[in-house]
Amino acid sequence: MIRYLLRRLGQSVLTVFLTLSTVFVLVRMAPGDPAAALAGPNPTSEDLARIREQFGLDESLLTQYWVFLRDLFTGDLGTSYSFHAPAFDVVLDRVPYTITLSAAAIALTALVAVPLGVWMARRADTKRELGANVLTIAGQSMPDFWIGVMLLTVFAVLVPVLPASGFTTWGGLVLPTVTVAVLQMALISRLVRREMVAALASPYITVARSRGVSERALTWRYALGNSAIPVLTALGTRFAAMLNGVVVVEVVFGWPGVGSLVVRALETRDYPLIQATVLVTAALAVLVQLLIDLAYPLLDPRVRLGKAA
Amino acid sequence: MTRNPSGFPTGLTAPSRRTVLRLGAGATAGLALGPLAGCAGPTGAPGPGTISLGLNRSLVSLDNKLNQFDAAVTVQRAVRQALTRIGRGLTTELVLADRFEMTEPTRWTVRLRDGVRYSDGTPVTVKDVATALKMYAGVNGSFLIGLFPELPTVEKVDERTFHLRTEHPVPILDQLMANILISPAAKNRPEELTGGVGSGPYVVTSANSGTGEYSLAVNPEYWGRRPAIEKVRVRFVPEESSRVVAVRSGELDVIDTITPDSAEQLRGLPGVRLERTSGTRVNQLFFNFRKPRGHPLADPRVREALSYAIDGEALVRDVLTGSAQQAEGVVPLALRGAVRTGSYVYDPGKARKKLAALGAGDLKVRIIWESGEFPADTSVMEAVLEMLRAVGVRASLQQFQPGGDILQWRQGRRGDWDVLGNGYSVPTGHASTSLQGMYGGTPEKEKTRDTYQGYVFPEIAARLADASAESDEKTRDKKLAAVQKAIWDTRPCLWAFIPNVVLARRTRVKDVRLLQVNSYDLAAVRLEG
Repeated sequence: MIRYLLRRLGQSVLTVFLTLSTVFVLVRMAPGDPAAALAGPNPTSEDLARIREQFGLDESLLTQYWVFLRDLFTGDLGTSYSFHAPAFDVVLDRVPYTITLSAAAIALTALVAVPLGVWMARRADTKRELGANVLTIAGQSMPDFWIGVMLLTVFAVLVPVLPASGFTTWGGLVLPTVTVAVLQMALISRLVRREMVAALASPYITVARSRGVSERALTWRYALGNSAIPVLTALGTRFAAMLNGVVVVEVVFGWPGVGSLVVRALETRDYPLIQATVLVTAALAVLVQLLIDLAYPLLDPRVRLGKAA
Repeated sequence: MTRNPSGFPTGLTAPSRRTVLRLGAGATAGLALGPLAGCAGPTGAPGPGTISLGLNRSLVSLDNKLNQFDAAVTVQRAVRQALTRIGRGLTTELVLADRFEMTEPTRWTVRLRDGVRYSDGTPVTVKDVATALKMYAGVNGSFLIGLFPELPTVEKVDERTFHLRTEHPVPILDQLMANILISPAAKNRPEELTGGVGSGPYVVTSANSGTGEYSLAVNPEYWGRRPAIEKVRVRFVPEESSRVVAVRSGELDVIDTITPDSAEQLRGLPGVRLERTSGTRVNQLFFNFRKPRGHPLADPRVREALSYAIDGEALVRDVLTGSAQQAEGVVPLALRGAVRTGSYVYDPGKARKKLAALGAGDLKVRIIWESGEFPADTSVMEAVLEMLRAVGVRASLQQFQPGGDILQWRQGRRGDWDVLGNGYSVPTGHASTSLQGMYGGTPEKEKTRDTYQGYVFPEIAARLADASAESDEKTRDKKLAAVQKAIWDTRPCLWAFIPNVVLARRTRVKDVRLLQVNSYDLAAVRLEG
């Protein structure tokens, strides 16, 4: 177990490092000049040259990479060009907002999608399932910005019961959470349905039923228990993706998370900020994946981590 | 310690899967709720004594050495102040100084107002002014310093009085100095200050530069009249539609720099009022002046003929929904020293005829611009494209994303183009700064591509320099007027317009005196109800 954990941690570190290195090169290959973005309107060549020199942008890519690695190992991710503050600190200011929104959205998704998926599976291919099918397909089809704007119009303007933007009150969490969760609920509920339909048709369910196990236990303990791993994997993957920022929703709701920060960093070619964001979000994403993997044996005793099947 | 087969020390019971799952669920709930408690306070909607401002750009600090955009000025000046400010009618108003006058062509005499002090109770001193100038000069990439023909040196006369000395006359030094915010010398640095004290009517009580959210409260040590509003909440709401919704719902009290579309949405809504004034920014479709001799666009007659193809009235009326005026000069007429030099005339027949006569009947024109350079930019460009096509010009559009390579294109280092969509504004309120910035190009500057789209007319540059250094205001205005007419005759723009400055406020917010520089005095604002 410990060996497995160490190996996975090593893989995680390598994954984050390779991601960071790839991003380091790619952002420098993209068009645009951070000096021009930083200098303000109508800069002179002299201004630009001074700024490039100040931030080491006049050095070769290899030298910049070397400096970046050297600073990285001392915990210095550089100073954000646009915030004039340590890039890591700027990202850390935003991370709690992103974690809050992502956690709330995934919790709402799990709370709604799992029972809904189970309900649909119990009524698979019946007329009663049709309505739920339509709803979940609609949820998958509607773009999140449209859902966001509709929710804003109704609950912030027509019936102003919730804040329109930002996170100044607890109510400010409701609309972005619902917006993010709609698509996820549709996807996860359909996944739960598919897994549950297969599980409910399995021989062990038939045997258990013949032994007089109640339908409730059959559904929630036997079938759902055996469907839990793919569902948890999907929830974890969606959660990890949200930690990289739900850009559109953050923009629509003025949510001060990592996604909108990345957009701004890309627009201003703020390399240190882009790199710090990638580091933090990639680390969070691999951590979540690791936790999910560690949870498998808890959900299914047949799974033994670090041992071949 | 012995271990049982489960790997747990004997004497301890291995947790069941159910226990671990419960613990996991608890940890997940903690993960979700913990940041909730940590990242947001119980701020709520603005109360009766609090005004909430929604900015379209993030206020990363309350200093302006590197970041100065219109909306920020209002908040920055509520905390830090300059010797002067640009007030109504773009005139210079005294702030920390009670005297600021040119006593010789190269010397200004300035006296600090009696009793001006910072929020920590220490007085504003002459040394603070001298240090501020040094710190602004020392920072890389500050466009404010580029506005100064030369930086003045400070010569102390007494505790409150000093001279600002320049080598050559800088007759608008009082307006230029409105951009230099004064901080205590000991705490000033050649960088954007993220903390520290100011002399303004408000102090910062909480700041999160990462999210762009600030809370201000009345400065108890303020040397001037106490502001009417006790608390100010500043929020960064980048998406305009979100800011519009927030002001409609009363969550934000003031949003500024709004587009024509948003102004249309907000017009006439209960509880919301719009404030407008003519602006100091000019948005231009500027010709590329780096065309080789013999190229049709190097001929001012061809440039003039092309301008007849543009129906500016229709653009202003239908695309910009009346939120702008066609330019009638080479700089906005609101600026001090600006004069009317002509107007854009729509006459497609004349355009076609003249182009044919000049041998430019089959002209191709490539128009470039950066997305978001001005309101409704794409719609304006698409309309211009059709107007040019209507007179037989084969036009094409190339739009750049923000942060892209447009600067290199503008400098002619990436490719050729013919017309650039570009906005230009300066925070001095005087025409001479804009004129120098756009039309003061010289062959020497062009060597490093530092002219405004290659605009190099040495005679014009010399006349501008002469006019800008003229210390007698009447003579200066006369010289500036003449040179503006000369610039107009070079036909630098296919078309240009001056957008209005528009701000939306809740009706409970009173006395927002919106200035042409797209700012207002926060200390003068009141709340009712």
